[in-house]
Amino acid sequence: MMMIDTEQLTKTYNGRGGCRGITLQVPQGCIFGLLGPNGAGKSTFVKMLAGLHRPDSGRAAVLGLPLGRAEARRKLGYLPELFRFQDWLTPKEVLRFHGRLGGLSSRDARSPAFRSRIREVLELVGLSEAADRRVGGFSKGMQQRLGLAAALLLEPELVILDEPASALDPVGRYEIRSLLKKLRNNGVTVFLNTHLLEDVEELCDEAAFLYGGELLAAGPLHKLIGSAQDGGGGGMGWRFRLGGWLPESLAEVRDAAGDELSSALSLVESDPNGNALLSARVADREQAGYLVSVFVRSGLTLYEAGPETNSLEDWFIRMAQSRQGGASQ
Amino acid sequence: MTMYMTATLKELTRKRVFLVTLILTLIFIVLFAFGVRELTGPSGLTPISSAERLLNSMVMLVLGLFFSQFLAAFFVLFTTMGTVTGEQESGLLLAVAARPIPRWKLYLAKWLGHAVWIAAYSAILFVAVVWTVRSQTGVPLLMDEVLRSFGLFLWMPLLLLSLTMLGSVYLPMLGNGICSALLYGFALFSGLIEGVASYGDSHPAVGKFVLLTGLILPTDSVYRRSLYELVGGGDWAGLAISDMGPFSIASVPSNAFLLYSVLYAAVLLLLGCRAFSRKDL
Repeated sequence: MMMIDTEQLTKTYNGRGGCRGITLQVPQGCIFGLLGPNGAGKSTFVKMLAGLHRPDSGRAAVLGLPLGRAEARRKLGYLPELFRFQDWLTPKEVLRFHGRLGGLSSRDARSPAFRSRIREVLELVGLSEAADRRVGGFSKGMQQRLGLAAALLLEPELVILDEPASALDPVGRYEIRSLLKKLRNNGVTVFLNTHLLEDVEELCDEAAFLYGGELLAAGPLHKLIGSAQDGGGGGMGWRFRLGGWLPESLAEVRDAAGDELSSALSLVESDPNGNALLSARVADREQAGYLVSVFVRSGLTLYEAGPETNSLEDWFIRMAQSRQGGASQ
Repeated sequence: MTMYMTATLKELTRKRVFLVTLILTLIFIVLFAFGVRELTGPSGLTPISSAERLLNSMVMLVLGLFFSQFLAAFFVLFTTMGTVTGEQESGLLLAVAARPIPRWKLYLAKWLGHAVWIAAYSAILFVAVVWTVRSQTGVPLLMDEVLRSFGLFLWMPLLLLSLTMLGSVYLPMLGNGICSALLYGFALFSGLIEGVASYGDSHPAVGKFVLLTGLILPTDSVYRRSLYELVGGGDWAGLAISDMGPFSIASVPSNAFLLYSVLYAAVLLLLGCRAFSRKDL
């Protein structure tokens, strides 16, 4: 089942801004990243999914039910982007209040089982020690952690997080990333709207790119990045840092790599001390591994090998620039 | 619904501004009691007659309740003017509205949460004023009339609450506060004008003006009816408070008008639920 399924979903503000004609599917059990520059319409799209905005046109289903249906919202955890909790309450009271809003009776919200669930989610987001302090004294990061605890409180099947780590320090972001991975392992689907590309790169199985209110690309992350890098031909970029490099080494390794991979190899840089940086476009990790064996057989020293870094950032910028270029022409 | 009552109580009791409100209210009640004692008690030099004492008691009762309804109205305005847009701007409403609770229910729960504590605050003011005057002056008051007056006195701020909450769906917090205060002031002012105009030959235009403002916001009309009930309807009102300048009861809203005020509140609540359900947050 698709956890989110939209078809031509449109919401504009007096004909401007917002997003138009978004058709998107988010499969169960994955972490899905929604990307795009500021003003791309991401928050509008997320707010429609959470039932806070009414679409102008189009169709959408969340957890197989039409938008805004209470049954779907019961299984949905949502962390808004710019939110605040009641300053005068403690985290425990905030969570009890959200439990009631989520449909628990007064008795259930005070039951030992629910109290234990509150302690569990506070522990999960690292707020156990602040459980009885007033929220008014919380930092932005602590508020964000509490927001995440509220989103996870009722054990949702789908979690929609709008910039969940924007106010967190590096340790906090690492903890949230680990938590999201744990959620995915437990079968929870996570829909992530974030500007933090390293989070998307590390976490997301699939992603979509919005620009100017329109959906430009969507699909598995590695395919999206690959298609942007090779003009749509697929594959992934790898880099190899080598020692013992001679001017004739490139021809040698190309011969040894065989017809299929010889053209994929290119020299990025080299120096007179025998150090070189090679890049290669490969179909999968096995081909990268094969190239490593070619280098070793050719008598070269392999210092470093790995997928091209910042490729998502490159892709993001390339997508945005291509659109800007298209718009200015 | 009960969760919002509890949440509103926590909000009121934990915010420092509420403590300040209570302290100032207490100061008002103490000063009022002092004023009642001075004006209606036995004076050292010039003993006052029973009729004079009764008139003074009525004046203090009317002034005390006039100021109390003023306090209750401002309590309503300041606590509820940002109920929807204020909470939307601060981000309080986002996580709440995404929960599986219908928007109309959320709106009514918020109304009820505020209504309970506004009624409690108004009840404290009413009881304090009436009890002070009764205990200090022995002014004759009948229980059933006091209860009718009490009910109407509590109804007045709830009407204003319905209006302010509807305004908060459309207007930003400050704009809504200003608009609601202006409308309330307009209704109050028209009541005072009517009191003054009742001295001379009543101009028909004044009556129409008062009726119109009463239809737009019936708070002052309900307050005047509450006062009328308290002072024993026709028995005492004609004697004591028909000659109090702007505070006179020149005309008494009918039972049909009270029914109109109930419909008025119901329509405002209905419009509020509808608008809130359709609002993009």
